[in-house]
Amino acid sequence: MSDERDAIRSGRVAAGDGTAVTTDWLDTVLADDAREHAGDYLADDGFTARVMAALPAPAEIPAWRRPAVAVLWGVAIVGLAFALPGAAVDVAREAFRLFSAKPFSLSEVAAVLALAGLGTWSSAYYAWKRV
Amino acid sequence: MSAPAVTDAQLIARCLVGDDRHAFAELVRRHQSAVRGCLRRLTAGDAALADDLSQETFVLAWRNLKSFRQEARFSTWLYRIATNCWLMHARKRKEELLGDRADAIADDDDMPHLTETTLDHAHAASLKVDLERAMRVLSAPERAAIVQCYHNDLSHEEAAYVLGIPVGTVKTHVLRAKQRLKQAMAAWNPREGTA
Repeated sequence: MSDERDAIRSGRVAAGDGTAVTTDWLDTVLADDAREHAGDYLADDGFTARVMAALPAPAEIPAWRRPAVAVLWGVAIVGLAFALPGAAVDVAREAFRLFSAKPFSLSEVAAVLALAGLGTWSSAYYAWKRV
Repeated sequence: MSAPAVTDAQLIARCLVGDDRHAFAELVRRHQSAVRGCLRRLTAGDAALADDLSQETFVLAWRNLKSFRQEARFSTWLYRIATNCWLMHARKRKEELLGDRADAIADDDDMPHLTETTLDHAHAASLKVDLERAMRVLSAPERAAIVQCYHNDLSHEEAAYVLGIPVGTVKTHVLRAKQRLKQAMAAWNPREGTA
């Protein structure tokens, strides 16, 4: 509590010569009333229990949900791989053509692979956390 | 009083990371008295209503714990929620805090005649009753400003955070509230020579 507030609540402020002078009477009344109630402690009397009972129920996530969703993701990925074999081959062929036609350095290829790996793992991690 | 072994921040972290309800129960136990006391002030002594609003405050705190950024003390954050709950309740009930009650206080024949009181404790009790009644004259924002600045011992800056208004507005509310309180409690003014 600042000195100024202290002074106001005590109903006195320091005058220029260092003596204490009384502030207005209402400040004193309010400060006295606040001081009187400052030490009041309201016994719990079951209040905490009532609050805890009123809290929303915790979200129950069934234990089987996470592995079930992971299996579904796996099935979806495998399904896509089987459903689009032509697309996968086309992508691989075009990638090979791109690499063979342009003189990429080994470091560039490594960087691309690293980025692709990072992206894949980030997506997988994010998907896992979302489950 | 010694500092608790586990701080509020640690308990909050447990709630957030592990959905730990025991940790939250400890937070409720620590702060229930302050929050209920604050709401009793705001509701002018209506203990049942204050407890209902306190319960609502803690439930909201649990739901919004993620949004608590530790920019203020946890207790100050709770005061903010509590004050908002009370203001919303007051709006819902369309409480008329300025009109009829002020007249009722002025016309109330049962008001203790303070000049006749000679015993100190009776004098103090009368003052307490008068102050509680006079607080009802205030508008909701004025009452909230007085409660935060005087009874909850908050600085103007902290009160501004709790009330969600600029510091200047807090000062204005406090000034206006004190003017109204002085009017309602004129009998207590020593210069009037009646108290």
